[in-house]
This record gives sequence, C-alpha cells and structure tokens, in this order.
Amino acid sequence: MMGGYKPGWFARTLSWGTAAYLVLPILIVIPVSLTDQRFLSLPHHGLSLRHYATVFASPEWIGSILQSFWIALAATVLSVVAGTLFAVAAWRLDRRSTQILSALMLLPLIVPSIVYAIGLYRYFGWWDLLDRFLGVVIAHGVTGIPYVVITVSAALASFDPRLEQAARGMGASLPQVLRWVILPRIMPGVVSGAIFAFIHSWDELIIVLFIASRDVFTLPRRIWDGINENLDPAMAAVAVLLIGMTLILLLLDMLVRRRRDD
Amino acid sequence: MRRDAGWWALLLPAFLLLSVFYIVPIVQVLAISFMEPEPGFGNYERIATNLSVQRVLLTTARICIITTAIALFLGYALAYAITLASENARRWWLLCVLVPLWISVLVRAFAWVTLLRRQGLINQTLMETGVIAEPLALVWNEFGIIVGMVHYMVPYAVLPMLASMREIDPRLLAAARGMGASRIQVFTRIFFPLSAPGLVAAGVLVFIFSLGFYVTPAILGGGRTLMVAEWISLQILDLIRWGLGTMMATLLVVTILVTLAVFSRVVNLRRLFGGAR
Amino acid sequence: MSTALELNALSKRYGSFVAVENAELRVERGAFLTLLGPSGSGKTTILMMIAGFTEPTQGRILLDGRDITALPPERRDFGMVFQGYALFPHMTVAENIAFPLRVRGMTKATRDEKVRGALDLVQLTGFADRLPKQLSGGQQQRVALARALVFDPALLLLDEPLSALDKKLRAELQDELRALHRRVGRTFINVTHDQDEALSLSDTVAILNHGRLQQVGAPAELYERPRTRFVADFLGKSNFIRGRAEPGLVHAGGVTLRQHDATSGDVLLSLRPEKIAIAEGDNALDGRIASWSYLGAGYALVVDTALGALRVHLPSWRAPVAPAEGLQLRIAFAADAATIVQDDADAP
Repeated sequence: MMGGYKPGWFARTLSWGTAAYLVLPILIVIPVSLTDQRFLSLPHHGLSLRHYATVFASPEWIGSILQSFWIALAATVLSVVAGTLFAVAAWRLDRRSTQILSALMLLPLIVPSIVYAIGLYRYFGWWDLLDRFLGVVIAHGVTGIPYVVITVSAALASFDPRLEQAARGMGASLPQVLRWVILPRIMPGVVSGAIFAFIHSWDELIIVLFIASRDVFTLPRRIWDGINENLDPAMAAVAVLLIGMTLILLLLDMLVRRRRDD
Repeated sequence: MRRDAGWWALLLPAFLLLSVFYIVPIVQVLAISFMEPEPGFGNYERIATNLSVQRVLLTTARICIITTAIALFLGYALAYAITLASENARRWWLLCVLVPLWISVLVRAFAWVTLLRRQGLINQTLMETGVIAEPLALVWNEFGIIVGMVHYMVPYAVLPMLASMREIDPRLLAAARGMGASRIQVFTRIFFPLSAPGLVAAGVLVFIFSLGFYVTPAILGGGRTLMVAEWISLQILDLIRWGLGTMMATLLVVTILVTLAVFSRVVNLRRLFGGAR
Repeated sequence: MSTALELNALSKRYGSFVAVENAELRVERGAFLTLLGPSGSGKTTILMMIAGFTEPTQGRILLDGRDITALPPERRDFGMVFQGYALFPHMTVAENIAFPLRVRGMTKATRDEKVRGALDLVQLTGFADRLPKQLSGGQQQRVALARALVFDPALLLLDEPLSALDKKLRAELQDELRALHRRVGRTFINVTHDQDEALSLSDTVAILNHGRLQQVGAPAELYERPRTRFVADFLGKSNFIRGRAEPGLVHAGGVTLRQHDATSGDVLLSLRPEKIAIAEGDNALDGRIASWSYLGAGYALVVDTALGALRVHLPSWRAPVAPAEGLQLRIAFAADAATIVQDDADAP
C-alpha cells in the first residue's frame, strides 16, 4: 500500500489487460474440455464429461500419469534431502567458499534444459540409464535441488543462529541439533521446496524427450506427442487435470507459508 | 575447520549429485563441440560460414528482444498496479502472476494452440461475427511464438520488478505530491528511477530465459520458425550432428553466463524465487 | 578455593584485526566474574572462546585444570544464557529446559523431575506448558537461566543477560541473579557493557579495552584504585589532573597538592567528583561555580579552579549553600583522595 497513492487510468487498463492475458487463455481449456463435440471447440449443445471418461479409460494416459507421479515423488525426495542438508550447512558455515557453492547450486535454473538434456543423452548412454526410471529420477532430482535450496535458505534467513549455538552449548550433537532444533523451525521452507521440486519434475518435458523413449513415457511426454499429432479434446481434459493439480499444490504451499508467517 | 567437519559433510550429497550428474554432462557438451567431428574450432567457424546457423541466431535474437521488450512493458504495468494495490487486492493480483508461472508450459502452449490455430476459437469467433472472411495466420509463425513466449515470461518479469518497487518508501510519493508534483512527474521523477534496478534485473532474467526456450517456440512455431533450442534438438536427434549441436549449446551457455556476469549486481535469482510471495 | 577456569595467553585475530590480545585470567570456583568493556573491547569474543563457538588464534583455556581449547562446545560442560535468550520458539518452557537433559539421553522421569526443580529454582512453577512468546521479557530470562543450570554445568556463561530489559526490571533481576548465584554456588561468568550492573553483581570484574585486559579485581578496588585512566573514566566519573610529583607532593596548575603516594616524575591524578567537598582540608582551592545541575540525591557542579574545571558531586543534605552560577567558594580534598593512574593514550 502506497499511502493511498493510486495508479492512473493508463496503468490500470494496462494491468487489467495483462492480468486477463495471463489468466484467460489458460482458463479457456476448461470449457473446451467439457465440449460435446469430437474435435477441439467450445461446447455447442451442452456440456459433456465424455473426454474425461476417455482419459480415465485409457491405459496409456493412466500409465503415464502414474509413472509421472512416482518419478516426481522419488525425484522430490532426492532434491529435498540433498537440498535441505546443503542449504542448512551452507547457512551455518557461511563463508566465501560455501557462497560460491550455493551459487553453483542455482546453475540448473540458469542453464537451458536443452543443453543439459543433450549432455545427459550421451552421458546416460555410458551409465546405461537411458529410458530407465532411475535415470529420469536422478535427472529430475538434481535439477530440482535449486528450488529446495532457495526455499530452505529463505526459511533459514529468519532463523536465529544463536538457537543453534544454544543447543550446541547444552551438549546437543549435530544430528540432534538438526532434528530437534533446526528442522522443526524450517519445515515450512522444506515443504515449499518439496512442492516446487515436485511440480518441476511433474511438468518436465525436455530432459525426458532425450533420455526416455518407450519404457518411461511420462505425462508431459504424452501431452507433447498429443499436441504434435492429434489435437483432440481429451488433451484439454488432461490439461484441466494438470491445472487442477498445480492449483492444489500451490494452495498447499500458501497454507504452509501462512503457518510459517504466524 | 576441524570442528565444522560435520557441517561440511552435509554439503556433500548435493555437491556430489550436482557434480556427477549435472556439471560433468554439461562440461562434456562443451568438450564435444571442440572434439567432433574432428578436434579444433571447425564447428565454431560455421558461425561465420553457415547460413542456417546465422539464420537461427538472428531469429533467436530478434524474437528474444521483442519478447523481452513486451514482457517488460506489460510486467511493469502489472507490478506497478500490484505495488499500489491494497493489501487484499494485492493477494489476488499476485495470484494472477503466480498461478500462470507454475502451470505447465505444455498446458499453456496447448491453450494457445486451441485459441490461435486456423480453426481455433479466435478465428472461429471472428469469422462467425463477420469481422474477417479468411482465417488469420495467428500461429505456426513468429507472431504465435511471441504471443506464447510473452505469456510465459511476464510472471518472470513481474517478480523482480515487484521486489524492487516494494522497497520504495511510499512516503516519498506522498511527499512529492505534497510539494506540488503532478501524477506524471511523481512517476517519471521518483517512482520510475527508484524501480529501475528491478527493471534491469527483470530484463536480464527474461532475456536469458528466452534464449534457451524450447517448448513454446517448438509448439507455436510449428517447425517453421526455428529458435536455438529447437535447432539444437534437431541437430542431435534428427541429423545426428553432435558437433554443430553442441557448438550451439556452448554458445548459448556462454552467452547466458556472460550476460549474467555483466549484470550480476542487479540480478538476484535467490530473491526472485525465495521472495515470490 | 581453587581455580575453576583459567585463560592462558589467549588471543584472537581476524586477519590483521586483533579482537583479543594475550588475555590472562584465573577465575576461582564459585566466583561471579564480569567481563566489562565498551562494545568492540573483546569481552564477547572471550566469552565465545570459553564457550567454544569461536576458536582462539593462540593460547589455552583450562576448565578445572583440563585443557578444553580443542573441544567442541557440546563437550565443554557449561550452561549459557544468550543475549536475547535464544529460547527455542517451537518448544514449551518445559521442553526448552528439558533440552539439555534430552540430548544427554536422560529418561523422561528424570527429565521431568529436574525440570520441575529448575522451574522452582527460578520461581516459574506453573509456567511449564507456555510457549516462550507467551512470556514477558523477565520470565524469558528466567527460563533461559533454568535451562542453562538444569544439567548442573561446571560453569554458567551469561552474555549481556539483562540488556534486553527495561531499567526497573533490570534492577530487580540483578538482585535475583545475585541471590541465584549464592543459592547454586557455581562459577558465573557474565559479559556486560553496563558499569552499574558489573559493580553490583560481581565479586570480580575484569575490564577490557581494545582487546586487552586492563585491570582485574573486586568492584570496590577497581573503583577506588583504578590503575589506568581508561578504568577510572569507564567506571564512574573522574577528574584528571596532570602534574609533576615529588615525594608526598604534586605540582599542578601553579598549586602544590599533597598526595600521599607521590614519588617523582610526570603524573596523572584521577579524582572522583564525590571526594571533593566544600570545606577546608589537605588540598584547598578557591573556585567559582561554572554550571550546576540538580540530581535529586545531590548536586553536580562544575567548578573553575587553578587546576582547571573540576566536577564536584555534593549530597543535597550536605550542600552548605544553594548553588548558583558564578558563586565563589572554597573546595578541598584529602591527600589520599586522588589516585595516580597510568595515562593510556587511547582512552575514550
């Protein structure tokens, strides 16, 4: 709030227009998914759930959804464990070398996925990890670490370092300090990071495009093929499901953050 | 040092994972660009000689600059409105930014396809209402790519600008008004200069994200307008020309890192993601 | 009494910055020692080195004759009350106090019993299930004390324990802290920048400036016989008079003063304002009141004399006249009222 200072008509129009541009095109998939037609269009005579039925009756879609879910879950565990330990240690040690390491941890956000994907394509060939569940989990887990590092570091910023000293001084060992003092305090940040790491893996396409082909066929990969081959309303139904999933996760994140702010 | 050994050990899992499964594959990409098909700078000479390479570089630069400019303009207006909004309204505005940010890029590209294609909702509506007789070519060209990319980038533009705008002391604006400055003067003389660091940070961020963008240009460009990322994928997957593909990938990474290094003072990735509330 | 804690040539440097230089200190078992100094004097650094949170660059720390310099904090056996208390915000009062017992693997029954005892000790019986944020500042301070004492540590470290409290509460808690020290009979080491707190709480005060120990002694000894200009100035107020000494006398400002311990050479005298009276005595001077203020319990005067402007404190009930600017009077002090102090160049 800027002391009752309000934007003028131009800024107001432009910002409303931009907000509409951001939100409305996404929302359009909802009516499209409910169409009674057999091609991508708005409903003509009435609403229909037949395209949702198609998705849920399709072993391919369900298989991909389940596969994506398990990959995202496993990758999230990897990101959260590695990212949280890293963020806590970097915060505690806080010196030039750890600051450089922390910057390094952000690389996956900066380097385009395509570069990493072609690198992995050849690298995983040697490790025999192409088209393997484990390969995708590792790739998604590693690229999910920065999200966890960032949210956990943010949670640690408001953590009083004397609490750690106090616990140490009273005789607590490092694992005890971690478990009883630090983790309970930064849990909201960890959960936030987990949510973002999960969304990251769940939506990730480019890496999968290169390192998976037949046995591992995630949801984004199936959507990608769908968009490129046959644009049918079942795609819209999947899109709506994905939007719903993201919204639920974001809502969860907001709840966690609110608890942290209390 | 010795007393902190336990803490150093906690850094290890992430460090090892990142080194072995991230840094090494990427360094390998850089290496291949100098090693295949034969050792030397042969792949890099193509930048000067190969028309296809030059075309994709030019297209990418053009699209990225246009995208960045539009995203900054729209994002600035949005960030401005959010900054000046009341506590309650701000929450809804932020939702309009954060929800699209986290919704799958595929879903968004798909939504744009349903809207923009020849039989898409926009062309249909315009034809049914008689505004146009022939469908407009809204997608599978540069226009479609830019519409989709700007849509993707606006949230990334808003967040850093919002962070810097929220640091502006609201009393300054009131004080300037009290000293007789008009609304426009308050904006141009006070608000805009104070928000400039955020604008630069947002510009850098959007630009580097645009450079390596794959999904949206590939879907909305329909294979006719190639940007760097899709071109690389084409070299590797379809033409099996590793040397050229990795050369372009190296060029991409170097450009991004150099841009970031130049602007390292104003861009704070950590704050962007950590402070996105 | 025996030595509980000993610092041997302890130094801490950060690059070229010297935080603590060659500190030598012995603390008797059961003593209440206060490290006193302005901010940046190195007092907190010494405390942090005793605790093990900061590694000394040089020197040794001995606790009960055992060298603990290389030990991590969790193996040193001290309780600590942190500045701002550092209570765990997600734990109740009882959980906070039980924490040091829990990390030592004590059973729940033992823990509960000890926690109850500790709560009684600091008079917080019945507060066990509150969260720290539901307590007042004074109560939080007492929880921090209970938590620091509950596991019977050899040593209690206090880092500015009263600085977060308002003035009145601070005075009350000073009394309580002293009483607690007597009750538990352990060695307390306190850090503060507040002179009054140091004088009233401790049985030994160590004064620091610029990383060096200036003087160590009982409060009254430090106040009455400061060895350096810094100590005289930092503990209470003082007049400083430069002069030339010969046995029993000091020549200053054209006046000859009687000074019981004077020998020879250039000297600096420190003279407390309350040791000057409006009367005749060993050293009597003519003066004129330059300014004055009323302090309730007394008057603070600035009197122009041949020795320069002197600060004089008079108890109200002993002031022979109502002060007024320009009033001529005669002041005096005894031959043993002033102390000869070292003139350390960098005194504030």
